[in-house]
Amino acid sequence: MNNKNTTIGIPKALLYYKYNDLWESFFNELGINVLYSPETNNEILERGKSLSIDESCLALKIFMGHVDYLVNKVDYILIPRIECLKKHEKLCTNFYALYDIVNNIFNTKILNYNIDVKKGKTEKKAFIQIGKSLNKSHVEILTAYNIAKNVFKESKKQRYFDQLNLLNTSTKNKILIVSHPYNTYDKLIGEPIIKLLKKQNTDIIYCDVFDEEEIKNKHTHISDKVYWTYSKELLGGLVNYYKHIDGIILLTVFPCGPDSLTNEMCMSKINLPIINIIIDELSGEAGLQTRIESFIDIVNEKKKVKNN
Amino acid sequence: MNNSYVGIDVGSISTKGVILDNNNKILASVYLWTEGNPISAVKKIIKSLELQIKGKNIVIKGIGVTGSARKLIGTILGANIVKNEITAHAVGTISIHPDVKTILEIGGQDSKIIIIEDGIVVDYAMNTLCAAGTGAFLSSQAKRLGVDVKEFGNIALESKKPTKIAARCTVFAESDLVHKAQIGYKKEDIIAGLCNAVVNNYLNNVAKEKKIKAPIVFQGGVSKNEGVVKAFEKELNEKVYVDECGHLTGAIGIAILSKKENSNIEFNLNIENIKFENKGVECKKCPNNCDIICIYKDNTLIDSWGNKCEKGDSIQPANVNQV
Repeated sequence: MNNKNTTIGIPKALLYYKYNDLWESFFNELGINVLYSPETNNEILERGKSLSIDESCLALKIFMGHVDYLVNKVDYILIPRIECLKKHEKLCTNFYALYDIVNNIFNTKILNYNIDVKKGKTEKKAFIQIGKSLNKSHVEILTAYNIAKNVFKESKKQRYFDQLNLLNTSTKNKILIVSHPYNTYDKLIGEPIIKLLKKQNTDIIYCDVFDEEEIKNKHTHISDKVYWTYSKELLGGLVNYYKHIDGIILLTVFPCGPDSLTNEMCMSKINLPIINIIIDELSGEAGLQTRIESFIDIVNEKKKVKNN
Repeated sequence: MNNSYVGIDVGSISTKGVILDNNNKILASVYLWTEGNPISAVKKIIKSLELQIKGKNIVIKGIGVTGSARKLIGTILGANIVKNEITAHAVGTISIHPDVKTILEIGGQDSKIIIIEDGIVVDYAMNTLCAAGTGAFLSSQAKRLGVDVKEFGNIALESKKPTKIAARCTVFAESDLVHKAQIGYKKEDIIAGLCNAVVNNYLNNVAKEKKIKAPIVFQGGVSKNEGVVKAFEKELNEKVYVDECGHLTGAIGIAILSKKENSNIEFNLNIENIKFENKGVECKKCPNNCDIICIYKDNTLIDSWGNKCEKGDSIQPANVNQV
């Protein structure tokens, strides 16, 4: 492969919102071009819907739309396959089916990396695998990986620091968004909700921004049985922020399996204004507005009572 | 001069309007069908309200609008408060029943439950995708049985042994109902069974996992059906209150909220001769193709909404394709 002109396509969906800082700087260090799909728009959603089976969750349908955008524009599309990140934990099936789904639907070259810690396939090994398939030397790959890992850690730290700062200084209602980053930051799923919330004079706290050490084992306050890594993180984040916020929005895409379980747990254990918003592909903004507005009314009234 | 406040609740099926005085007493009220045209419905409402207060020494110090067309109508009337129907219903109901703890509401196409503690809303739920067990379902089944839906309640009360009807889904309820009628169940038993089905559906879907505490108030069009009221009382083992003016509580609530805004402006209700127009335009500036609604007052653009991003802010019907 001629590296000079190789371009990797990264779909702006699903794990992009979690790992892009890592990916971007890794490819940058290796001198590889990256092309991103644009923010989710209706066209991407419609393409994704027509390429997916009905039972897929909305986030996966959107992902398919992003992949479709990149096909024929790049040499490889980055599609990770992640099954297990920590011992005794798993990811949602979608994340370990992703490679096969894309491979079956599209006729395109895939740049794959495979993480399955319980079988000894660590993230580091996975990145070496990527680097090798791009014809890079072992030293080049490891240097790039270490730099990328540092950038990734620092940006996470910075976001956490900024959020703590906001928590300490904010005088507005603080609403915690409990949702996977691929929902929260998506232009069509999370952004309309965040816009509505900001119009209601609130500050948004993101549950997916946390310090890993700090939330360790905190999910056990809600459930010690959950084994999905990303759900555990959200529950841990929720417990971590719980005392410093005024209301909670559980934002889910239809029909997310892990969320359907953890949402019920949260709603029965948490004593704060809380709503569960489920987004599907039928976009009715009117209902959303009514729900958000009346939820903020509840938060305001409860605060008034508390302050009296 | 007496201060008074206008409250308007523009729903998908019906539009309601009230004028309250300073003590929340109703001075005038109207109820009519929206008929898919909220602007003309509101014009009619305003005209009727004006007729009812003619000659009385009244100044309007606030206009509040709620309901699904609240934004459109709020803009047209220049309302000083535009709020969602959940808050408006709760405020209105609390003004009539200060100690209410649970509000059940079943309307034409949607249903809600609102939980109140110490006079404030603490929780609520709305039906999501499923409209089973709402007014629309009852009227279609009434038609099938050849009964006027207004008679439903009275007929249901005659039943001694209500038929069991599958309540989970309208489609199954309907086929179950046809089957029961074919094998010879009495009409009043089937109708009473339908009322029970509506209640069970509501309690299992909308009110799922909510703690329903007395006093309970039941609102919305279906609350006029005695059969459903009795079925609720039986199922919940509590008295269920239905008000004569239950259909107006949203309008009453938003009028009270507009009073709380303490506005000093005098409002003018004279909109009958003003031409309002809403045009839908499609923004072509990005692949989202948002539908943007533009509101014109006598041919001048006064407001627009519906765009997902700032690219649509400057949209004027002149430079985009009309829908």
